Amino acid sequence: MKIMICDDSMFVRKKMKNAVATADAEAEIIEAVNGVQAVEKYKTEKPDLVFMDIIMPEKSGVEALTEIIAFDKNAKVVMASSVGTQENLKQAILAGAYDFLQKPIEDDDVAKIIAKASK
Amino acid sequence: MFTQFFGSYLLHKQLVTSEQLSEALLLQKNTRLKLGVLAINAGYMTADQVEKAHARQQREDKRIGEVMVEMGFLTTDQVEELFKTQPSGHLLLGQALVDKGYMSNAQFENALNSYKEENSLSDADMNDSNESSIAKMISSFYDLKASEDRDQLTNYVSLIFKNLIRFIGDDFTPMDPFSLKEPISNVVLQNISGSENMTTLIYAEKPALIAFASRFAKEELENDDEYTQACVSEFINLHNGLFAVNVSNDTGAELQLEPQCYYDSMDIKGLSKACVVPVSYPFGIVNFVIAM
Repeated sequence: MKIMICDDSMFVRKKMKNAVATADAEAEIIEAVNGVQAVEKYKTEKPDLVFMDIIMPEKSGVEALTEIIAFDKNAKVVMASSVGTQENLKQAILAGAYDFLQKPIEDDDVAKIIAKASK
Repeated sequence: MFTQFFGSYLLHKQLVTSEQLSEALLLQKNTRLKLGVLAINAGYMTADQVEKAHARQQREDKRIGEVMVEMGFLTTDQVEELFKTQPSGHLLLGQALVDKGYMSNAQFENALNSYKEENSLSDADMNDSNESSIAKMISSFYDLKASEDRDQLTNYVSLIFKNLIRFIGDDFTPMDPFSLKEPISNVVLQNISGSENMTTLIYAEKPALIAFASRFAKEELENDDEYTQACVSEFINLHNGLFAVNVSNDTGAELQLEPQCYYDSMDIKGLSKACVVPVSYPFGIVNFVIAM
């Protein structure tokens, strides 16, 4: 499975990489540090699953999600944010998000999503 | 959360030193509540009676509960009830200080009673830590003036303490608030926009910031580098995100967070009215700043 982690925080990327590697040791992990890079890398790398932060410089996670879905309507993009308000949840789902995680993200949450996506 | 504020009160009244308080905050996890402290807290016994019972127990080799009943200070029902008391934090802190000999039972009794009185807190307030009593305590501790912003500020500060307990550790003491007068260093800033605009910051001396980041990341960090800054940035992002979720649930208002920035040093223009909330950990002081 190829999994992309997109977050502007190097701390969150490290934690997410560990969580993904724990859940699926075989996973190939790629990283993006903002929404612009996420869209570019999605198009070239075609990951099976994406974990995407919402609040990022350059381009927000929801904007990147919209562009990724326009490119590939079956893309599996999980939004991961500290701001899990109804409004953000609604926006993400309307834009085509596969799931929504409220930070702090536990390793267990990541494992469940990976299991669901690999079915 | 009353534990930390009660600790701060003891420090203020110079009943303990900050070293003794730090030590007791660490010890409280392994502290067992004794009948004397429980009886004082419940108002069943005075410290003087507790001392007399202890003195007699040393001569008679009986259980302390038995001695207290024999001396007529407690009924057997009260002893049973006290042993069932859920250990709340401020009692464990008091017990740890008494065990160490940093405070006597009498000093503990006086401090607890005057703390409750000065903050108009009942026993139930202290034991349940319900939202309204925490809000009452915080707005009086930080002397937040009645204003439209007060409730929001109170909720914000109260959530800081909850998140510190959840993500960093409960061994801290809230210090007196102050106003910013000089430029500050090692700062993480996040702006919040929406119905109300807020600027939020965390700043600390480098060693304290590194230790804070280490606790949050659950890693031993040694350097003040980009990774350490990213850890502190994520803490403020997480905290502000959870605050936005609470505001949205309570009022329906949506707040937007902006990406965080790190500054080696920052001038404080526009922050003269900001509320500064300093928190002392054994590793140093971390300051939270909120401007509305």
